[in-house]
Amino acid sequence: MTRRDLFSRFASGLQGAALANLFARDMFGAYDLKAKAPNFPPKAKSVIQLFQNGGPSQVDLFDHKPTLEKFAGTAPSRDIVNQIEFADQIGTMLPSSFKFSKHGGSGIELSELLPHLATCADDICLIRSMFGEHFNHEPSLYLMHSGRTLPGRPSLGSWVVYGLGSENQNLPAYVVLDDPKKLPVNGIQNWQSGYLPPIYQGTRFRSEGPPLLNLKPSEELESPLVEAQRSLLHRIDDAHRQARPGNPDLDARLASYELAARMQMTATDALDLSQESEATKEMYGLNQDATASYGRRCLMARRLIERGVRYVQIFIEYQIWDAHSDLEKSLRYSCGKTDQPAAALLKDLKQRGLLDSTLVIWGGEFGRMPISQTRPGQGTAGRDHGPAGFSMWMAGGGVKRGYVHGATDEIGHKAVENRVSVHDFHATLLHLLGMNYRDLVYERQGLKERITDQIPARIVNELLA
Amino acid sequence: MCAIQMTVTKVLLFAIAALFPWMAVSAATPFDTDVAPLLQKKCLPCHSEKGQANLDLRTESSILRGGKTGPAIQAGNSEHSLLIEKVVSKSMPPVGDKLTDDQISVLRNWVDHLTPAVQVTEADVLPIFQMRCVVCHGKRKQEGGLDLRTQASRLKGGKSGPAIVPGKPDASPVYQKIASGQMPPPKLLVENAVRPPTTAEVETIRKWISAGAPAVQSLPNEANSNRLVTEKDRQFWAFQPPVRPSVPAPRHASDVRNPIDAFLLQKLESKNLAFNTPAAKLTLLRRVYLDLTGLPPAPADVDAYSKDRRPDAYERLVDRLLESPRYGERWGKFWLDAAGYSDSEGIIDEDLVRGNAWRYRDYVIRAFNQDKPFNQFLTEQIAGDELVDYRHAKQLTPDLMEKLIATGFLRMTPDGTYSPSNGSLVERMDVISDELQVISSSVLGLTVGCARCHNHKYDPIPQRDYYRLSAILQSAYDPYDWVKPTERYLDYAPEGERKEAAAHNAPLEAEIAKLKAELELKAKPYREKFLAASTDKTIVIKEEDLIEKYPEFRMETADLRENIAQTKKKLVDKPQIRALYEMGGEPSQSYLLRRGEAQQLGEAVQPGVPTVLSVGLKPYEPAPPFPDSSGRRLALARWLTQPNHPLTTRVFVNRMWMHHFGRGIVASPSNFGRLGSAPSHPELLDWLATEFVKNDWSIKSMQRLMVTSAAYRQSSVITPDLEKLDPENALLSRMPLRRMDAEQIHDSILSVTEDLNPKAFGPPVAVETKPAGEVVAVGSNKEGFRRSIYVLQRRTTPLTLLEAFDLPPMSPNCIERAYSTVAPQALELTNSDGLRDRARYFAGRLIDEFPADPAKQVGRAYLQALGRPASPLEIKQALADIDRLANLWQDHLKSEKMDAPRATESRWFALSDLCRSLLSSAEFTYID
Repeated sequence: MTRRDLFSRFASGLQGAALANLFARDMFGAYDLKAKAPNFPPKAKSVIQLFQNGGPSQVDLFDHKPTLEKFAGTAPSRDIVNQIEFADQIGTMLPSSFKFSKHGGSGIELSELLPHLATCADDICLIRSMFGEHFNHEPSLYLMHSGRTLPGRPSLGSWVVYGLGSENQNLPAYVVLDDPKKLPVNGIQNWQSGYLPPIYQGTRFRSEGPPLLNLKPSEELESPLVEAQRSLLHRIDDAHRQARPGNPDLDARLASYELAARMQMTATDALDLSQESEATKEMYGLNQDATASYGRRCLMARRLIERGVRYVQIFIEYQIWDAHSDLEKSLRYSCGKTDQPAAALLKDLKQRGLLDSTLVIWGGEFGRMPISQTRPGQGTAGRDHGPAGFSMWMAGGGVKRGYVHGATDEIGHKAVENRVSVHDFHATLLHLLGMNYRDLVYERQGLKERITDQIPARIVNELLA
Repeated sequence: MCAIQMTVTKVLLFAIAALFPWMAVSAATPFDTDVAPLLQKKCLPCHSEKGQANLDLRTESSILRGGKTGPAIQAGNSEHSLLIEKVVSKSMPPVGDKLTDDQISVLRNWVDHLTPAVQVTEADVLPIFQMRCVVCHGKRKQEGGLDLRTQASRLKGGKSGPAIVPGKPDASPVYQKIASGQMPPPKLLVENAVRPPTTAEVETIRKWISAGAPAVQSLPNEANSNRLVTEKDRQFWAFQPPVRPSVPAPRHASDVRNPIDAFLLQKLESKNLAFNTPAAKLTLLRRVYLDLTGLPPAPADVDAYSKDRRPDAYERLVDRLLESPRYGERWGKFWLDAAGYSDSEGIIDEDLVRGNAWRYRDYVIRAFNQDKPFNQFLTEQIAGDELVDYRHAKQLTPDLMEKLIATGFLRMTPDGTYSPSNGSLVERMDVISDELQVISSSVLGLTVGCARCHNHKYDPIPQRDYYRLSAILQSAYDPYDWVKPTERYLDYAPEGERKEAAAHNAPLEAEIAKLKAELELKAKPYREKFLAASTDKTIVIKEEDLIEKYPEFRMETADLRENIAQTKKKLVDKPQIRALYEMGGEPSQSYLLRRGEAQQLGEAVQPGVPTVLSVGLKPYEPAPPFPDSSGRRLALARWLTQPNHPLTTRVFVNRMWMHHFGRGIVASPSNFGRLGSAPSHPELLDWLATEFVKNDWSIKSMQRLMVTSAAYRQSSVITPDLEKLDPENALLSRMPLRRMDAEQIHDSILSVTEDLNPKAFGPPVAVETKPAGEVVAVGSNKEGFRRSIYVLQRRTTPLTLLEAFDLPPMSPNCIERAYSTVAPQALELTNSDGLRDRARYFAGRLIDEFPADPAKQVGRAYLQALGRPASPLEIKQALADIDRLANLWQDHLKSEKMDAPRATESRWFALSDLCRSLLSSAEFTYID
């Protein structure tokens, strides 16, 4: 029996499932965030999710469809019409106005809108055959982040830190870097822990000002004063605890206060970009208006991953990819904000040797239609939502590099070849982190809950390096 | 414009389909070469001719036909195919090697590339009509006199003759109009949340009519098979009625204050344990105050109780607390959690506020305060509208209003179906499913929701039972005849309130009308310009269109539009009742939905309750209480509130027990099924359940019994012996040390610092998001702040303090809360501006009260915050700390310009630091 056999046998049976549930608890039965061993040796240790709310247009960015030009201006089929959000604004087949060209040794075809990503073509694993279940934002976001089209279930990041804990007990295990301008659709529900214990919820770090809500009092106080306040509380709490032995809750509470104090240092330090070189800041685009905000968050993500944070999720201003009108202008704006920082993140991780252990994922809740949408009085044409086929890319820990997986039909509407469902995507991500998605279970009221439950899911082996 | 376009579509459709390959997906995985060999090896041993579950997996057509539980696959849709689910979940094959991921992939690929079935029946077209047509050709509306719901009504047709001509699709208006794209009318699609039919659906309708439009034979009646629940299933303890056991006689007879103690002691004694020592008098005082009212005792309460030497001082105290108006605000909240109470609709990003939901919140609080018998409480909430013929009532009595408001219980789950892009059949069914989840988790203690897509895997709940329960709601929540949540209100309100709202709104509305007219005047030239530039002369030009197109219009009208928006904000909600009520008339037919999918009609079902729950119970028999009311929900309420119902009373007393003692007798309070926890004290549970009924379902009597037991009065101190013999405290060998929940912390802070505004009831207090992101309730130091239950419970803006302390999201409800211990809690308590301000006011009041006596200030701070006097040592230490802090504050204040004398200011801030420490201390946030 090989080592691999041993692990897979260990991981697939009930035994593994029971262990997964036990792993997350400490000796007192309380849930914690200590690092836990995965089911089998992982390919990636941490994840950075670059979530693109709104639905980036695959046929304008990743999925070149010359055929579409032949049909320019013709009416769409019923099956396309059936999936449109605004059935009263249906236009005609709309080929992309952007040029595509092949890049790197792998020759991955990308749009001119992604010049920076193009220089990383040989590092990405592009999936062109993703498909979702709903044509509207909210349900599709719930699906992408939690595996169901309804609110209330644990997010992917929560599952990951429930299964693996964190390498750094002085920072939250699951950090969310949302855009200071506006929260994504569904707001805080995107990183809720649902029925998982609340400690697995994502913690919002702000990319401007103090990183964490109430990390420091709003008044600037001298450290001796802060110290004196702290020791006063500690004295009161310590006396209380001494009188009540055998209550691990109180130890945990004391520890949480100590962590809170330490976090003032660690979180501030983690997000202090002044420690970075000018070259690095320039690479992320911190010196340009368009890229500065997203660039800061990408750079912060790298610093957090370096410090052992397990899961970092970066959001971009509300749903800027939602190009219902003015497609060209809108895409130039969105790409102008994100392309350089995302590519810089890949390069930076690579040069620091972190890309092998970090999985970077880029994508939205769906793609867009190959047909146009016209809103009366609203600029030029846009595209409506397209959940039937869209593109996402991954890079780093455990996935093939310079590889393209799957395909949509000839007009870029529906995924037809090697289709990858959102559930497949979740299963594959957990696999890369060393967990079997079937064994990552949480017992609730006697029932075993999983991210995919009984929904068909498959680890997309073709993506694995 | 769109109609023309659709016609073009039709013409192009056939041309494109013939010429271009991307229209039709070619079969990538031939059945014979890849799939058949795999099935041969893995499945055919059992599923061949006359196979298990009548399933024959030899050919594509036999697979599509399926077996006992419906088709094995859904062509083109592997995500919704039973066969795939079975192999993925590894439940099939039951023996031998499971399928590898790659083998599963072969199967999925094959199913995904399979084109849909050839044989069509009414069962295939009915869902299409239901999804796309009945909104205008159904129960409430019959456009053109046409009703497409039944075969008879389709044949009868409308004003222009029969809708279908069997055998002749091209002569059938239904087919013609759908195929040409005329129907459903493109312009009405969005507002009705209808999508146009797919190519396959149009083809299905054609085939069905060509085949003679056969009426349905294939939807079997539910009576055919009821074998899924056996007598053995009914033997499970939770499905048997509770039987009142005799009260045991434990050895420590003197420790028994009431029968609860006898049951507990008997079990403790079997492990050589007895009750822990009684809790100290003031410990018990604080415990029972927080438990029954959610607030700590005030210094005067502590003083009075300390001095009360009567033997029944504690019992008197309990009676007082149960009569306090604060009691309903505490215990009502638990029920609101179970109902999934929220002031917003959720689902959609805007998280629309539900204007009148608070009336239901007030109903619940009042019901608890009045000790409304639980059977009545439940009946009103499930079927209040069927208790009174409100439509024909001469007068709007408070009693009538109350019964209608009570049905808000079934209107609390997330509901985004008001939005056209989230209002399809699927999302409507999700709302109904959430409401069933509320009923089943809070009243039945069963995971009925598991049976939405398949028979329950562990409990004897066939899929049919889910749809029978769902049918009970169908006369009110009819997915085929939907009312949006924003319109599902009853226009009843007390005259005074109605007038008051109208009087408030009238001048505002007049003002808005005036401003709008002004705006329109400015818009007119732009409208003309817009129209002149547009090719479509019938276009409806919205204000937004003008704003988008003409920057000068935007600039010119900015103030005016802002003024309108601000004035609109001042409008109050029209007083209405957010109720669930009968739609009247004959409800649409209910079906079992195979795989839980709206388009997969299975057998027709009648309203009913879980088959397994029948022992000793009168059957579920709906009868209209008055015309236009089906009686379905009233019958459910009557059935649930039978005194010997095996679950209703057990589930509810178990939850009361859980809230008082920290864990339920059944530790899984929403799952009494096989996978739930077995009761730790089954006899006690049954005794409590029967005692509850004996005392006329009085909640307060039950709680009085629980909190006056010796068990409840135990100390929480853990000795090594207790830790060893009862490590999880399952035997209740002590009271657990418990952290306050979110609301207890929030409300207690306000109570201690005397900033609590005791105003009860009414519309919720608004919340605001501070620049740093903190969400706080709007309040003022003058009026104080209201209890958290009266603060707006919007899904997307929970109060930061509550959220930090594990306020659960309502999705759809919460039966048992989680408790975490994490750093953000510490940050919130030690660093937030909110608590700093409260602590300063607290300290300020102490200084005002004892101006020259720091020791008294400290003593009072302890008494007020912790409900006990400070020890001399504590006072001494605190005074030393305050001195030290005051010096440091003085240094700090030197750097700032201050008007007040620095010495006074710094002492005040130092005392504030002590107050804040007390309010964020473990002693404050935990209950002994």
